[in-house]
Amino acid sequence: MTTVDRGLDPAPSAFEGERIMAPTPKPAGPRRRRRGGLAPYALLGPAIVILALITGWPLIQLVITSFQQFGRAQVFGAPPEWVWFENYANVLTDPVFWDVLGRTLVFTAACVVITMVLGTLIALMMMRLPKPFRMLLSIGMLLAWAMPALTATVVWGWMFDTAYGVVNYVLVNWFGQEQYFQHSWLIDPLSFFLVAGIIIVWGAVPFAAFTLYAGLTQVPDEVLEAAQLDGAGGVKRFRLIIFPFLKPIFLIVTILQIIWDLRVFTQIFALQDIGGIRALTTTLGVYIYQVSIAGGEFGQGGAIAVLTAILLMSISIYYIRQVTKEEEL
Amino acid sequence: MRKLGIVALGAAAALTLAGCASGGSGASEDGAEIRVWLVGTDTPDEARQYLIDTFEEENPGSTLVIEEQSWDGLVDRLTTSLSGSDSPDVVEVGNTQASAFTSAGAFLDLTEYYDQLGGDDLLPGFVEAGSYDGKFYAAPLYSGARLVFYKKDALEASGLSVPTTLDEYIANGEKLAADNPGKSGIWWPGQDWYNALPYIWENGGEVAVPDGDEWDAQLSSDESIAGLEQVQQVMTNASRAPKDGNETSPEVGFCDGTTLQLSAPSWVKWSILAPEDAEAPGCPDQEANLGVYALPGKDGGAAQVFAGGSNIGVSAKSAHPELAVKALEIILSDEFQTIYGENGLVPAKLSLADTLGTDEVAQAIAAAAGNAKLTPASPKWADVEAAGILQDLFVNIAQGGDVKALAEQADADIEAILNG
Repeated sequence: MTTVDRGLDPAPSAFEGERIMAPTPKPAGPRRRRRGGLAPYALLGPAIVILALITGWPLIQLVITSFQQFGRAQVFGAPPEWVWFENYANVLTDPVFWDVLGRTLVFTAACVVITMVLGTLIALMMMRLPKPFRMLLSIGMLLAWAMPALTATVVWGWMFDTAYGVVNYVLVNWFGQEQYFQHSWLIDPLSFFLVAGIIIVWGAVPFAAFTLYAGLTQVPDEVLEAAQLDGAGGVKRFRLIIFPFLKPIFLIVTILQIIWDLRVFTQIFALQDIGGIRALTTTLGVYIYQVSIAGGEFGQGGAIAVLTAILLMSISIYYIRQVTKEEEL
Repeated sequence: MRKLGIVALGAAAALTLAGCASGGSGASEDGAEIRVWLVGTDTPDEARQYLIDTFEEENPGSTLVIEEQSWDGLVDRLTTSLSGSDSPDVVEVGNTQASAFTSAGAFLDLTEYYDQLGGDDLLPGFVEAGSYDGKFYAAPLYSGARLVFYKKDALEASGLSVPTTLDEYIANGEKLAADNPGKSGIWWPGQDWYNALPYIWENGGEVAVPDGDEWDAQLSSDESIAGLEQVQQVMTNASRAPKDGNETSPEVGFCDGTTLQLSAPSWVKWSILAPEDAEAPGCPDQEANLGVYALPGKDGGAAQVFAGGSNIGVSAKSAHPELAVKALEIILSDEFQTIYGENGLVPAKLSLADTLGTDEVAQAIAAAAGNAKLTPASPKWADVEAAGILQDLFVNIAQGGDVKALAEQADADIEAILNG
């Protein structure tokens, strides 16, 4: 026992001594790595406390509410009644919920695929563009990305306006497409989701493009050059070299896009006010709002929100596991 | 009117109410700040200033602040703010939204102040809207009426005169649309369901009627169907408005000449006549050409129109309930309410009806307000509005859908919510 102690003791003292004897102007602190100890946990502590407070606590409240009969009277202090799984049973047996869920999944899939394809193409283009044009493109995309979703929806809504919109004007007056005179873009659900999709993809492409562009700059040139010398064309080089290199980035960006698009609210909600038929265009995020906030059924809305969270989490976990598997290989 | 809605639930917070009411009174009210929430821009600046000045004069040391809210999302905002510890003291709420809060215990019981606030002189329909379970929670603030605005020259050019019956009104609209291709004889965007209610009511139909403890939705009754078919006729033949558009900014079409007639709340007059350099520009040069009348009923006289308007109450969580009630008394004073009347809004008191004046608009307002009706008085009506069932119904009707089938579907949806 004592030998072990002695064996350990000198190390820190030797280290201390070294510091005192040779006070270098730049101590190589960050490179030092020590396993164990309380320091990492102490550093994580504040973040965990804040997360627990601002994310964990509301989440627990949400789960509790989803097991209760919770209406506006309860908001003003009436004691809620526990109904356990009744809210969930109501939601899961409601055909409206399944319609909304199916619509949301299909719409999300379309938006994510289009966003990723466009984002990749723009990132590849940025690699080729001369610097001034790349700057111009980056600034343009940054502006699109920085625009609040509500503002974007209102502006796009004006462009697609039935009576005064520029889209109808151009189609009728420049291209002679008379059927677009006073054409409503939102009244048909498919066309509604086309407009909503344009707004969402327009806002999401910059993030995908920037992230992928950052990744592309890290693909070693010599590998690409070697492949080119071996006769690999552009498509082949992308498929066999660039894509495998960037796979983790693709996965991360895709997960984020799926999460953002699955719970999209602002664009759909604002667009429904401009036009269209609500019953045929509601997605999950808007449905939760309709049931809980507008309809005052906080318990039922909570149940839908919990189900959505579970759905999002299972998608995320699947993809994160894929990513970590890739990294281990 | 704007987004008005109702909701309501069981009254249970009586204890909270009593606790707050007694807790706030006492000598500690010196130097208090009373926060008043007014919604939208309807209340004129003159009235706001009068309220602040009078309150601060009568209650030295205390101040009154008016915070303007928007109609969009008002129910959500009131739900969160009235239940929180930082509740405003006096709040305006749409008349059909009131029961969501009176029934939930969000407002202070004002029964003992009823006579002080105006008593039986207050607009009866609005007193009813602000009462729950035999108690008086929210006083009337003002009422608006829906009027028909029209271009005098267009009516004249088609050889028409102001209609005296609903059928004549519809025929006029169709003729105007036929004489002026591409223009709306009656501008009617599909989401604007408030304007459809008179057609249902005038034909003897109802949206929903109480049936014991349940509600019986009536949109597919023969009478309602007759009204809905007229609605479809107007939307198809007389209106060139977007079939799925909403009713905001009616002045745009009126000013660019594509709208010849439209039915809208009385204050739309001021939107139309707004200066050209205003944030929402109007066309003041149309003043001489702008005519107005009350929507005529099926058998003449004024039609039964939707009675939009506001109630005003004191938050149950107000820190200074006695001062808040004093502010409420000023708001319901003859002086304050007269300012509403002079600005084209129906005052909360019957005795002040003549403050509206005697011009064309005033007469039309008086005629319309005298025959106004409300949406079903169910605490859950706001849920029907929140689900957008009526907006969807009329967008589908505007598109030329099968009225009977659509009405039956809407009835089923409405009953599911009201009886759910």
